[in-house]
Parts: sequence; structure tokens; C-alpha cells
Amino acid sequence: MNGNITIDHGSGGKLTLDLIENVFKADSGLDSAILCDIAFTTDSHSVQPLFFKGGDIGKLSISGTVNDLLCVGAKPLYISSAFIIEDGFSIKSLEKIVESMKREAESAKVKIVCGDTKVIENKNSGGVFINTSGIGKIIKAIDGSNVQEGDAVIVTGTIGDHGFSILNEREKFNFKSNLSSDCSNLVDLIMPLIESDFNIKFMRDPTRGGLAMCLNELCYKKDYGMEIYEENIPIRKEVLGMSEILGIEPCYSANEGKMVIIADKKDAGNIISVLKKHSLGINSEIIGSITTKHPSKVVMNTAFGTKRILNMPVSDKMPRIC
Amino acid sequence: MLQNIKNVYYDPVLIKKIVSKIKKQADTLDREIDIMHVCGTHENSIVRFGLRDLLPESIKLRAGPGCPVCVTSTRDIDAIINFALKNDVTIMSFGDMLKVPGSEYSFHSALSLGLDIKMVYGVEDAIKEAEISKKEIIFFSVGFETTAAPIASILSEVFIPDNFSIYSVHKFTPNGVYELLKSGKINADGLLLPGHASVISGLKVYEKIADEFHLASVASGFEPLDILVSVYMILQQIIDKKSVVENEYKRTVAYEGNKKALRYMDKVFHLDDSIWRGLGNIANSGFFVNEQFKNIDASYKFDIVYPENYIEHKKGCRCADVILGNAEPKDCPLFAKICTPSNPIGPCMVSDEGTCKNVYDAGSIE
Repeated sequence: MNGNITIDHGSGGKLTLDLIENVFKADSGLDSAILCDIAFTTDSHSVQPLFFKGGDIGKLSISGTVNDLLCVGAKPLYISSAFIIEDGFSIKSLEKIVESMKREAESAKVKIVCGDTKVIENKNSGGVFINTSGIGKIIKAIDGSNVQEGDAVIVTGTIGDHGFSILNEREKFNFKSNLSSDCSNLVDLIMPLIESDFNIKFMRDPTRGGLAMCLNELCYKKDYGMEIYEENIPIRKEVLGMSEILGIEPCYSANEGKMVIIADKKDAGNIISVLKKHSLGINSEIIGSITTKHPSKVVMNTAFGTKRILNMPVSDKMPRIC
Repeated sequence: MLQNIKNVYYDPVLIKKIVSKIKKQADTLDREIDIMHVCGTHENSIVRFGLRDLLPESIKLRAGPGCPVCVTSTRDIDAIINFALKNDVTIMSFGDMLKVPGSEYSFHSALSLGLDIKMVYGVEDAIKEAEISKKEIIFFSVGFETTAAPIASILSEVFIPDNFSIYSVHKFTPNGVYELLKSGKINADGLLLPGHASVISGLKVYEKIADEFHLASVASGFEPLDILVSVYMILQQIIDKKSVVENEYKRTVAYEGNKKALRYMDKVFHLDDSIWRGLGNIANSGFFVNEQFKNIDASYKFDIVYPENYIEHKKGCRCADVILGNAEPKDCPLFAKICTPSNPIGPCMVSDEGTCKNVYDAGSIE
């Protein structure tokens, strides 16, 4: 590959995928590696602001890695944490972050077992970055291998909450709302599904790049695609309002406490019932189904019968000018 | 759930009803009708909701010059990049603008030459940056009246540090559209007037266009039902042999415009001839900073040298025709082949308001 790294290579969209395939020569297939009965994953976290409505970088660094382990059907167990901290960063803030990591680890029933600290020159890059790796025990390997025509596509709640909440705080748009990040580990929501007899075939958390990227990744280079029904996608009123003003579709906005699940359609109704019993899954919906009619493509259906492709985002979406 | 929130403007029953009325109108007219819109957000809605698929084949809905970064001349982009590289200044602008290709470099790709650029969401962020920066900050100020008005209000209300200036490439939609119609570069049977821009300008400015070019003109909102109802209103005017300005977007657009916003614009900007990318110099179509504000006008404050040669559209790129509605993205040999959102060759592939970017994003199901 030619050229230089741009900020867009980290957006989680198509350019990130290009980098993974062409430079790292890796497969971006699953959120965690499945190594016999062990799941293993790693994730680096940088977010601005570090403390936001609904969470902070500490909480995010635990929940993000825990959720990636859940994706492959593992019970999350152990976490490592490595800090890269800029010279001059407040120790009080660091303590707050560490306390938050502890709380989130307790909530996710995982242990933080090892770590590392590096301090770098202050270049105003945001203060602190956290890498966490996670190990889990595979309960039921979920690797996307048995997806077939007719399977249901489920999302466990409203989309775009994290992306819009963070954007509002970071850019000081001053939209007055109760919207906060959905940043949360999903252990209590997803473990009952992993431990059940439901035929769950594929899971992915729609983080950077939003629901659109997640759905595209789930059928990337596959012999199936998806039909998604726009009116079934759960969206908060606040998110919709901001999305209309800024010209950014909620589907392209990040989530940090949601899961997309592909499951056998005969189990879909029961899965929704189970999800809805938990506060984190109360807005769960079946948003579409798997089709072999247009392999690798995600087709969005409007309530009034028109269709379009829901493409992979190339980079972060920009607010429109006019 | 989306439908519940959006209610009436997404109502499948109402949409079905208006579509069947439009079909009857198309039968009555029994000829091809060309409706042009001049707003990137209209194109975004039309593509996002697949509205063209709902219309009869004889009713064409075409994208005209409605994407602000698409009509910004490379002459301006090149001049500012060259100036900033030779002087210790920071360029700030909206995200979309930074990625629009100039003759050789975009602001963004000129990072590799050492250009200091920063993306902002509004002029106030650039002013704040100037307060803490030791460098000169030039805000590359782009957009139609929708953007020019709030920028004018901020520039005239807040304290401006000495090291801050703007370089205005703002354009005024009605005058641009008028001159392009007059020169025959664009033509249509009906005009879907821009919803957001009309909030500022009002609709009186479009009366001359409707009258002189016999164009049925309707100011439209952005929801599916808004656009379809506006198409219906345009077709009804054509059937009734009328060409007047009507307002479908009454919940937002006042016929006389936003008087306060217009006052701010008058205070800070005046209209003069302006170069539109690939379309040449268009009379009275650009907003330039008034004498009274010359201290914050980068073109007054600095000796900006304009390139003698600049390339508006690279070989093969058909953005100029796409902007005028005279070609569709698929007619361009570069579209989706070498020109993609991650490697835009022409300006229409950059922003969500650009026609090529919209068509690219919507993809093809086949």
C-alpha cells in the first residue's frame, strides 16, 4: 500500500479494513480468536473526552474487550491492561479511570491480572491510551460458520447513542438532552444466550463504524447478504434529532453496549423475549434477515417499499455543511 | 420505531397515495418532465429513501449545483494551500472541504507537504483556536447562504483575535441558479427549491427565476413525503401551465426569509462575481467580506497569489456535467473505478452532499 496513514484508517470503516487486509495481512473475521476452548482478544482505547456521559475510557477499556470475547461465545475471565500516559497527566484523573476499570471488571465478573505502564512526551494527544487484552473460556463457539438463508438479524437496543453523545460533548454542540453513551459490558445480557440452546450463529458488537459497518462485516466476502428493515431499527428520539440536524445517519454512529446477533429464525422470537427481560436489552428488535439473493450486500428496505445498499462507511461521517 | 418517531412524513399510506397521484399527473402530461433540485441534502434524501424508484419513468429528478464544496474552485483551494505552505499559518475548515481535491493537492493531502490544517465544526471553533494559537488562523469559509448567515452572525457578534481571518468562498444559490439558467448551462421544466437555503433567503428571490424561465418552482423539505408532495405541486403547475414559486416547506421556510439572518449577512458580506468550479465566473454569485470587516478578510490581510493555471476537473472527470445535471455519475468513466470516496478524483465524490458520493453510497443491488 502507498501513501500515509490518515485519521480515517482508524475510523473502523473500509479504510481500516484495507489496512488489516493489505498491511497486516490478517483476517478481520471474528472479534476474538478461538484457540481450542480459549477465546483471546485485544483492543486499544482512545476516546475524547476521557470522561463522558455514561462512562469513561476506563469503563470502555474493560467493556469493549469483554464484549469482544462474548461475540465468539466465550465467558470472559481475565483481562490485561496496558497504559500509555502523556507526561503531565493528572494522577487524580488516572485514579478515577482505574477505579472505573475496577467497577466495570467486577460487573463483568472478570479479573484484571497483569498490566504495563509507559509514559510518553506530552503532545496533547489526549492524555491516556489504554490497551486491554482478554481471555475467555469458550462455552459454545460462535464463528459464523452456519449462517443460512432466512436467519434472523437482531440488534439488542437503540443505535448510535455512544457516537452522538460523545460528538455532542466533544464538539460542544450543546444539544440539550438526556442522551448518554451506552458504554457497558454485556455479560449479563449475552451469557444467558450463550448458555442456552438457542441456535446463535454469529455475533458482533457494532462499535466504530456503527451498525452499518457491523452488518457489512458480518456478510463481508460471504455467500449471503442481508435484508434490513429501516422501520425496525431501534433509534432514540434524541439521536434521530441530532442525526437530522448534523446530517449523519444513526447507522454510521458508534455503539459501545450493543450486540448484533444472527440466529436461526425459529429461535428469534424467544431470543428477543430473553433479551427484553434485561434492562440492557429492553429495546431489542429483529431488524432483518439473511438472504442469498445478493451475497455480501446489506440492503436497507424503507417502510414504503424502496431499497438501497447500506454501504460500509469509508471514514468517519462528517456533519453536512448546508 | 423510526416510523413512529418520524410519523406523517414517512407514512407508507400517504406516500402510496401521493405516488399514485403523481402517476396520474405523468399520464396527463404524457412527456418527459425534468425536475432539478439544487441542494445536496435533497440529493441525499432522494437517494437514501430511494425516491426515484417511486416516480414514473417520465418524471426525472435531477441533481443540480447544490453541493457547496463541489462548486468551490480549485483556484481558491490552490491559492490558499500555496500561501499556507509559504507562511506560518493554520488553515481550518469543515471536514468535507479538507478532502476536496485541488489541482494537485487537497488541504488534507497537503498534510504530507507540511501544511497545518485542522478540521472544525464551525467558525467559532476556529476563533477559539486563534485565541490560544500564536499562528495566523485562516478559516476557509465555504457554503451557501445557509452557512454564510450563521458565520456572519458570529463574526459580527463576538470578539475576533488579531490573528484570525476568513477566506470566503461562500456562494449565493439564487444568483448562481439564475445565471446558469440564463446561460443555458442548466435547464429544466421545474425547480425543487432548496429547503435549508430558503430558510435564510426566503422565496421572493426565486420569483424572477420562475417567471423568466417559466419554471414551476416549489421549496421543499427533506423528508420523503415533503419531496414527493413538492414533485406533485411542480407537476400540477406544469399541467395548469403555471410557473410560480410555491412553498411546501411552510413549517420552516418563510416567504420573506429570515430577516435577522439577512441583516447579518448584509453587514458582513456583499455579493460579487465568483468562480464556480468548472462553471466559470458567475455574476453576483459569491459572498465577499465587506470593507468594514477587512481586518478579518484573509484576501485583504495577506498577499494571496492566485495561480495562473489551475485544473478544475482532471482528465476524464465529469463532475462539471454532473453538477449541472447534464450527466449522471455512471456516465463518468472514472466513477466507482478510480474515483471512490477513499480516493476522490472529482469534488462530487467527497461530501455526503455530492451527487457521485450519494450514488456511490447507495450502491447497486444487482
